[in-house]
Amino acid sequence: MTRYAMVIDLNTCVGCNACMAACAMENQTPVWKDKWRTYVHDEEIGHTDQAHRRLFPRLCNHCSNPPCLTVCPTGATYQRPDGIVMINPEHCMGCRACAMACPYDARYEATYNDIDEGRTFYGDEELQRQVPSMDKCTFCAHRVDKGRKPACVETCVGSARQFGDLDDPNDPVAQLVAGGGARPLMAYLGTHPNVYYIDENKRRG
Amino acid sequence: METMTYSTQHIWTWWIAAYLYFGGLGAATLSITFLTDMYCRSNPRLVLWGAISGVVMLALSSLVLFLHLLHHAAVIWVLIPAAFILHPTSWIAWGTQFIIWMMVWGLLYALPCMREREGFLRIPILGSLLKTGLAGWLANFCMRWRRTVGWLATINGIGTAVYTGLLLQSFPAVALWHNPGVPLLFTVSAFSTAFAYLLLVLYLGQPNEDDAMLRHRYELFDLILISAELLILFTFFNYTLSGSESGHRSAQLLWHDMGWLVGFMGLGLIVPFFLNLKGVVKGWSSGMPTIAASLLVLMGGYLLRQYFMTAGVYAYPW
Repeated sequence: MTRYAMVIDLNTCVGCNACMAACAMENQTPVWKDKWRTYVHDEEIGHTDQAHRRLFPRLCNHCSNPPCLTVCPTGATYQRPDGIVMINPEHCMGCRACAMACPYDARYEATYNDIDEGRTFYGDEELQRQVPSMDKCTFCAHRVDKGRKPACVETCVGSARQFGDLDDPNDPVAQLVAGGGARPLMAYLGTHPNVYYIDENKRRG
Repeated sequence: METMTYSTQHIWTWWIAAYLYFGGLGAATLSITFLTDMYCRSNPRLVLWGAISGVVMLALSSLVLFLHLLHHAAVIWVLIPAAFILHPTSWIAWGTQFIIWMMVWGLLYALPCMREREGFLRIPILGSLLKTGLAGWLANFCMRWRRTVGWLATINGIGTAVYTGLLLQSFPAVALWHNPGVPLLFTVSAFSTAFAYLLLVLYLGQPNEDDAMLRHRYELFDLILISAELLILFTFFNYTLSGSESGHRSAQLLWHDMGWLVGFMGLGLIVPFFLNLKGVVKGWSSGMPTIAASLLVLMGGYLLRQYFMTAGVYAYPW
């Protein structure tokens, strides 16, 4: 079996936002309303001379126990055998329950208006979206299926993002996770996320 | 990595509060009406008022949700009767079926009464439909199986009221919502507001001296439910004081807001509690205090849902 996961090193993210741009072009996200499938949260931590800047890349965590999937009333949200959580726009009625259920703020709306804007922004013939629905990161499943890495991983200049298979013991990502060097967000919620973070403080220590 | 950002949501706003409010109120109104008719005293006028207004409330609730969907045509996937079997973990799938079947059984229960009323038979289109042979056969069938139809409606009504709480409970990131108290609170509130609404019907819609005992019972039941709601809210207050930062911040939002404290707790619960208490223990010389209490309870029911939606705090680790 394959179980895809991503490890993000908070020490090497430089905040260039190339991941956001690559993802937006790859997946035609509604950037005109500041909505992204992946986003680099930029925040200053602390108030003293010890304060530092944190760059925190975020995306769908492709949980093994995804609350967005369990609340979906139409079956539009589904999970592939390799663990990638997907949305079928044709079946999504846009009740937004999935966005409410997601603890990682990973979902946003794609409306009729966004389709119109998308035609202008991405080109009438190029636009993939036909109907409005909720939207989120798919780990670039269309690229992964062709043996490529997600656009954000491929473009990351600091190699902050690594993508791999947790079920392959030889995969560096699996080894990082198994070694405890990378941790998931809010594991106490029982969502079993498959995006892991290498804490910035550990490298400093 | 433990620095947290706390924020409320702007995805489900007043329209979901209205959906939850009218859904719970309509469903509980139908359930109470039919249980009254089946086990207290046959009351065709109450059945007509309760059934029709209950169905209108459920339709209004569903309409509010439908209008806010992103992709209206895809609603078909949740309307198919097998939706809750295909997606058994989704409370919206269950709730939609509860609401649909609640309306169906509710209208069927009221059908024999509608056919006996001249006023209904004179309504264009509806009157013609009521006079058809199929409507006659259905009305006879429902009269023969009155209690079965009534219980099917009641079970779906209770299911709808509980569902409104289960829906919020299924969002794990928010402590205020993701706890066993929410379905209980919303169910108690739904039945409390429904008793209040039916008291208004009994006092204003169809005043009848024969219903004095029924009004007294409704006031007593509403008093008990308001008491239960106050008790549940006290446990919520205690629960959110500490234990999780999300819950604590929700408590700060709620208990520092005058709309919650005065509007909901004060005018929506405590004032009606004392008005109903006096009515139940010593009685009132007129119906006005009970009418006022009922109006306040109805207002409080909406405020509860509105504030619960706005006070849910997400905790993000970035």
